[in-house]
Amino acid sequence: MSKYICTVCGYDYDERDGDKSQGIAPGTKWEDLPDDWVCPICGADKSMFELAGAAAQAPAQPAVTEHAGEERQDARHQAILMSNLAKAASKQHNAPMASLFARMEAYFNQRSAAEGDMNSAHKLLNEDIAARYVAAFNTAREVGDRGALRALTWGEKVSKIQANILRRYLKDGDSAFENDNVYVCEACGFIYTGAEAPEICPVCKVPRFKFNQIKRGA
Amino acid sequence: MKAVRNIRLCTKDCLCLFVCPTGATNTDDGQIDASKCLDACRACVDACPSGAISKVPFNFPPQQPKQEAVCAALRALLASKANQEAAMDAVIGSPASPVEAQLARALKESIRIVAEDMLRESGYMLPQSEQARAALRGMLESEQDADFPKDAAEELLRMLES
Ligand code: SF4
Ligand code: SF4
Repeated sequence: MSKYICTVCGYDYDERDGDKSQGIAPGTKWEDLPDDWVCPICGADKSMFELAGAAAQAPAQPAVTEHAGEERQDARHQAILMSNLAKAASKQHNAPMASLFARMEAYFNQRSAAEGDMNSAHKLLNEDIAARYVAAFNTAREVGDRGALRALTWGEKVSKIQANILRRYLKDGDSAFENDNVYVCEACGFIYTGAEAPEICPVCKVPRFKFNQIKRGA
Repeated sequence: MKAVRNIRLCTKDCLCLFVCPTGATNTDDGQIDASKCLDACRACVDACPSGAISKVPFNFPPQQPKQEAVCAALRALLASKANQEAAMDAVIGSPASPVEAQLARALKESIRIVAEDMLRESGYMLPQSEQARAALRGMLESEQDADFPKDAAEELLRMLES
């Protein structure tokens, strides 16, 4: 009997126990779990699980695409900086400062070029997971930057969920999400697709009220 | 320092009204009147049965120095996130279906949060930090379009430098 660990939230699927919440009998082998089985905690699908105790494989270092378009995203970098500082001002309970930063953000948002598609985003995310996070983790560990390690831990998990959503969408299209609601954790960015947002965020542990529902509008 | 009330936690027991020596806690908008709050007092913080009040400092310690190698690694991720966000904007502009539009909006929001976190950990945690102020000065010094909110940038610098 083996255990498989969810790489997003750490839940472990123990073949001995099965998964009562989804009607999986004790003793059900990993291979025999249906393809549409998902992590009962965070909704990640089977591809996001690793065999417990498997030797960590040396990450392949795929060629990273050139930062084509980085220059054109200058305005977007400024917009991200301004929205980050607006949030920081809100956390200091300084509403006037937050709204000034928000005005700056709006200016730069308007000038941010839109380019790419679901495929290009998926490709970039896979590169992040295979290379950029690996490199950043190594550097942050070397110098013992705890703040950066915390951000990288959350960011990597959220990136995996993002990549997984894109993979499912690119494979099965609308039908993969037809019956789902979509929620985003406003603290770490974790995306939950399913009936109702989890009681606490599986990545950063904030309570349910910190989830925003993204409606399927026109 | 000034006292602030977390409205989500406040259970309206009104002990803070009773203990406050200046009436700063007695307002219509549910927040505490910073202009009346005494720097050295924390009577309401200790009296609140719900842990709903805390004091925030007027001045923050300087940002701890960040290692350039870490910042560079975080910037590489940030650049990738910015390009991912740009891709989502393109999809939102002409989505193939309502589901695709919904996913792209969720992904954009999520990517932005992760990108902000990369910046936060590369030295932009506090608006008061020298790096954040330098960024604002840089924006004022570079060429901007006519609708650039110059007054907002200048007002922010005044607030942050005081
Ligand atoms: S004492 Fe605390 S719970 Fe009561 S009104 Fe004041 S902030 Fe709210
Ligand atoms: S800290 Fe003191 S002065 Fe300020 S609101 Fe609380 S009780 Fe009033």
